[in-house]
Amino acid sequence: MSYNGGAVLAMKGKKCVAIAADKRFGIQAQTLALDFQKIFEMGPHLYVGLPGLATDTQTVHERLKFRLNLYELKESRHIHPKTFGNMVSNMLYEKRFGPYFVEPVIAGLDPKTFEPYVCSMDLIGCINEPEDFVVAGTCTEQLYGVCEALWEPDLEPDDLFETISQALTNALDRDPISGWGAVVHIIEKDKITTKTLKTRMD
Amino acid sequence: MASVLVQECERPGFSFENCQRNAFLASKGFPVPKAVKTGTTIAGIICKDGVILGADTRATEHTTVADKNCAKIHYIAPNIYCCGAGTAADTEKTCSLIASQLELHHLNTGRVVRVVTANNMFSQMLFRYQGYIGAALVLGGVDNTGPHLYCIFPHGSSDQLPYATMGSGSLAAMAVFETQWKPNMTEEEGKQLVNDAIQAGIYNDLGSGSNVNICVIRKGSVDYIRPYGDINAKGKRQGSYHYKRGTTAVLSSKTVDIEDVSVHTVEPVESMDTSA
Amino acid sequence: MECLLGVAFRDFVLIAADMTNARSIMVVKDDEDKLHKISNKLVMAICGESGDTTQFAEYIAKNIQLYKMRNGYELSPSAAANFTRRNLADYLRSQSPYYVNLLLAGYDDETGPELYFVDYLASMVKVPYAAHGYGGFFSLSIMDRYHKADVSKDDAYEIMKKCVREIHKRLIVNLPNFKVQLIDKNGIHDLPPITAKHLAAEEADVPLPEVRVI
Repeated sequence: MSYNGGAVLAMKGKKCVAIAADKRFGIQAQTLALDFQKIFEMGPHLYVGLPGLATDTQTVHERLKFRLNLYELKESRHIHPKTFGNMVSNMLYEKRFGPYFVEPVIAGLDPKTFEPYVCSMDLIGCINEPEDFVVAGTCTEQLYGVCEALWEPDLEPDDLFETISQALTNALDRDPISGWGAVVHIIEKDKITTKTLKTRMD
Repeated sequence: MASVLVQECERPGFSFENCQRNAFLASKGFPVPKAVKTGTTIAGIICKDGVILGADTRATEHTTVADKNCAKIHYIAPNIYCCGAGTAADTEKTCSLIASQLELHHLNTGRVVRVVTANNMFSQMLFRYQGYIGAALVLGGVDNTGPHLYCIFPHGSSDQLPYATMGSGSLAAMAVFETQWKPNMTEEEGKQLVNDAIQAGIYNDLGSGSNVNICVIRKGSVDYIRPYGDINAKGKRQGSYHYKRGTTAVLSSKTVDIEDVSVHTVEPVESMDTSA
Repeated sequence: MECLLGVAFRDFVLIAADMTNARSIMVVKDDEDKLHKISNKLVMAICGESGDTTQFAEYIAKNIQLYKMRNGYELSPSAAANFTRRNLADYLRSQSPYYVNLLLAGYDDETGPELYFVDYLASMVKVPYAAHGYGGFFSLSIMDRYHKADVSKDDAYEIMKKCVREIHKRLIVNLPNFKVQLIDKNGIHDLPPITAKHLAAEEADVPLPEVRVI
């Protein structure tokens, strides 16, 4: 889990959700890239973050995309984030005794009601569906602390962006193997806003 | 090339394809990360005409609380519920697997499933996996033969008991049961006793915490009370750490409007001829 | 111990690999070719478990050639890199994993030069410059300092020489020779190898800096 480094975080807001991650790719202490993608779009209102071992981030993303495409072909409709969560969970638990080293974070809106949804999982697919926020990666302790203080219910999209960005950047400053740029997606009913943040580069 | 397309067809059961690689990583000094464990207090009693199950709501990951309000009492059948302790994913998935098998059993036989059947299926499955599925369960339910309560261990052994506790807080909870349990308690007395037992776990065991969940199973009805009482409510925040809009330095911003939400579809080319 | 270097610019990409083949504590060969031609405008630099390296590189190269014959067009560098990653990831979970680190340098007719970094765990990233092996500790900082998108081919070769010079100076391991190739819109070109002998000769020619005397 701490071979490549990385952190992901998702928060609920008022009729919106946000998901954010750092952009570093490194091999232990050696930073190799500053544009590594850890958050993937899985539908118009659905994003998944896969922090952990980079090779598994990529493999799990490929496999999820494959399963999701089959689902959409079979059902001719967009997947509900909760259903998607169960799909990820089942895929991970299938490898209970030889797991993928990723801790997925899912953020999305209900395709019909646009109700916000976030959840996280451990590496063998135990789902955690809290009311407020979820964190994963190499600086979860810092993220938990800072989110617990900053998060409040019913944040508007702009305030949610500020809260999630500050939570992430401040946690990253206390983790040497995460950071080097960050990306935030704010998911609303009618639009997705993607912002890249200026962070410390040390 | 073929591997990209052909594999994926889901094979039933566990996949061990990552094991060798993970053993290799472990030998390089990167051990397999720890899964979420429910350092837990779960308990159950038989009372006058039913079963009462109780659980705390804390899930832990090492020394961090991963979930402050999780549900550890799982649905098995309309008349059976099960509390889980141990590796969180194992309890969750084992319960849902047995629940679906029992549903099929119910549809096949057309009868109300018995608690003893659930107990057998759990212990057989856990024994087959020799303790590697880390699920410690308290199984309770009411069937035609009356209320039943079972305590099932990760290696597959099980006990039928009038009162049972499991998890890291089991000692604290059992202390309460041993001093206060008596046969034929009323439902209200029973709920109070289970609540006391779980609270003993919450306050005396570090792995257990937050709220109490209680599930009362009577003949013909179930009460899932979540949470039971309101202990450990979060303190009210006095000030606000609200960041003003524009605090964060943004390098780039892109907004995409969602209008066209198309889904992949396959039109059936020609429907199959099914006429004789 | 081995070292692979790669830098991508606006119109071309430069890739280099050391030429040492060592067994345990002994150097067996110093003219090994670790750069494999995958297709007309794609080169794979590969190091790791000897045997696995050639085996894997040839397996990928032949499959990409096969794809070209079957479909009548070549895989783009990014498609080839993804294909390579997926194969490595699948093998990683098999009974016989390939223990190889690689760099893929190619020229895409649509998007220009590309460089991909793939490690033995099959993590893949597209990067402007990258290195594998201990040499990376010394050369990455040089690449970071001197990398610019629009650099002439001569200056790019000079950056590569700087990296090798630093490896010779600071790394305890003996890696005297580096084979260098350049990939641009016209295909793969061999550049003169950067060798210790060559660099020493160059150094000898350079006049000592003038010392100011008062």
